[in-house]
Amino acid sequence: MNNLNFINPFSVREDPGSSVGDLYTQNFSRHAKTGTVILNLGPQHPSTHGVLRVIVELEGEYVIRAEPVLGYLHRMHEKMAEVKTPWQFIPNMGRVDYLHPVAWNWAQVGACERLAGLEVPERAEYLRVISCELNRIASHLMWWGAFVMDLGGVTPILYAFEEREKINDILQIITGSRLTISYFRFGGVSADIDERFVRLTREFIPYLRERLKMYKALVTDNVILRRRLEDIGPMGVDICQRYGATGPVLRAAGLPRDVRRDIPYGVYPKLDFAIPAGPSDDCFGRYLVRLFEVETSLNIVEQALNELPDGPVKMDKAPKANWKLPAGETYFAVEGARGQIGVHLVSDGGKTPYRLKLRAPSFCNLSLFAEAAKGVLLADAIAILGSLDLVIPEVDR
Amino acid sequence: MTSLDSLAELFRQADAFVISNHDFKTQGLVMSAVIPAKNLVSLGRSLCAGGYSLLDISTLEASEGFLLTYHFDNINQPGRLAVRLLAPTGKPVVPSLCDVFQGAEWHERESRDFYGVVFDGNPNPLPLLLAEDFDGSPPLRKNPKDLAPLSALGLFGQPQSVDPAWEAYVNPPAKESSPKAEKQA
Repeated sequence: MNNLNFINPFSVREDPGSSVGDLYTQNFSRHAKTGTVILNLGPQHPSTHGVLRVIVELEGEYVIRAEPVLGYLHRMHEKMAEVKTPWQFIPNMGRVDYLHPVAWNWAQVGACERLAGLEVPERAEYLRVISCELNRIASHLMWWGAFVMDLGGVTPILYAFEEREKINDILQIITGSRLTISYFRFGGVSADIDERFVRLTREFIPYLRERLKMYKALVTDNVILRRRLEDIGPMGVDICQRYGATGPVLRAAGLPRDVRRDIPYGVYPKLDFAIPAGPSDDCFGRYLVRLFEVETSLNIVEQALNELPDGPVKMDKAPKANWKLPAGETYFAVEGARGQIGVHLVSDGGKTPYRLKLRAPSFCNLSLFAEAAKGVLLADAIAILGSLDLVIPEVDR
Repeated sequence: MTSLDSLAELFRQADAFVISNHDFKTQGLVMSAVIPAKNLVSLGRSLCAGGYSLLDISTLEASEGFLLTYHFDNINQPGRLAVRLLAPTGKPVVPSLCDVFQGAEWHERESRDFYGVVFDGNPNPLPLLLAEDFDGSPPLRKNPKDLAPLSALGLFGQPQSVDPAWEAYVNPPAKESSPKAEKQA
């Protein structure tokens, strides 16, 4: 067992070679300047959204260095994939990212379908888009509320939760669950939508559009929020490329990269939607990109509901629980709320996959934090961390 | 946009053992190459200059050793690539890509946690996802019978060119030593 001598955050360290703290703190202190303070943010900290720990070196109120420490929520999903059949592994995906489980469902099920060459009925493809986009809205709203709360505005998260509850009510009808959703099946989805689903969704779309106007007036145009976000934490294309950042972080940097458009899957090529790029690569740019994506997703859901074809929601002779994947390798990616979710699947034709690698967008997006937080105020570092939209179970997997 | 021909040229310059084309629809890759570990950093530099970004590093345990698959995607014109290295089971040491792609640091540390692969030159080689005081061996496959040979995994798509030395290495003519689970260094 390691020693538990936690460092007193308020004491100025005299000795840079000090041996207090755990391995990470000690290693971090080794390169510290004299007269600076080493502070552990987390793992239990309200603004780290789960159990993330960040060690920072402070000179006054400025962050000189930062280092995220991961692993507090590691549950070895990748190893579990090697001992479970693909069927048994479906429920794991909802637990990887609890805010956008449907996209993770899609990544795993899609990878297996690609490898086996399964054809999904068109109605099921539309239902996949509808559920995935509704879930994306819920994820972005949750981020929005939590992010504004990090910055000190407590009210918005209550609005965000109200909206999110409505989406959960809708998704519950078809998926049966509200958080760790497992809606996808190989060759389709688990259930068809009903009258009530359509009615609630049709009511929800104009409702949220109205609410977004209120969000803009209440939060986006708020002068305090603007000052906290504008020109804070610029992340250009260069840093995104070096760290492999994707999703809203890369789009705010000005590149319209979106897997739904670039490497189309499902019925996305048939739907008309805009991919935002910019307007700025700072925290406010990332904020605007996500709010814009909420509107985009609403449009997609509306289109998909209008164009929804009749037919089965699962292919004929869909794989059963004892289904074996053929031997081979595939890499399948989908656009999650946080960026590109990738599944690298290798099978030797056995009962369980030989290797399943999960590429989590938050993992790569968080890795650039250490560089982005250099030289900023501690309060701005919190804004930068929040603007990355992290889900820690996804980082740690 | 880096055309497929110029990519193949880049791989040839890195002395690739195998260069393969893939069916993007089913395999999600446009091209892959197996290269000698020593040429990884120079190839990474060329890819970085061509607008590629590192998606992930996926480590695979096979009977020949650890196969590391680096997935790259172009940030201007999507087209996914896989660059593969084979690290021997006994002493899996490969060069670190952190000088070129700083994001590689965490992927490499993760691979070290779970497979014991050592990345020479990683600036911060601490456990990433495992606990700091964990001193067991990585969760490798204990029974050599559970290890599949690379040839059984369908990794190489439609090969354009295969080096005879690679062929001999992957399909050795006679006996095969049984790889053992390695203690993490």
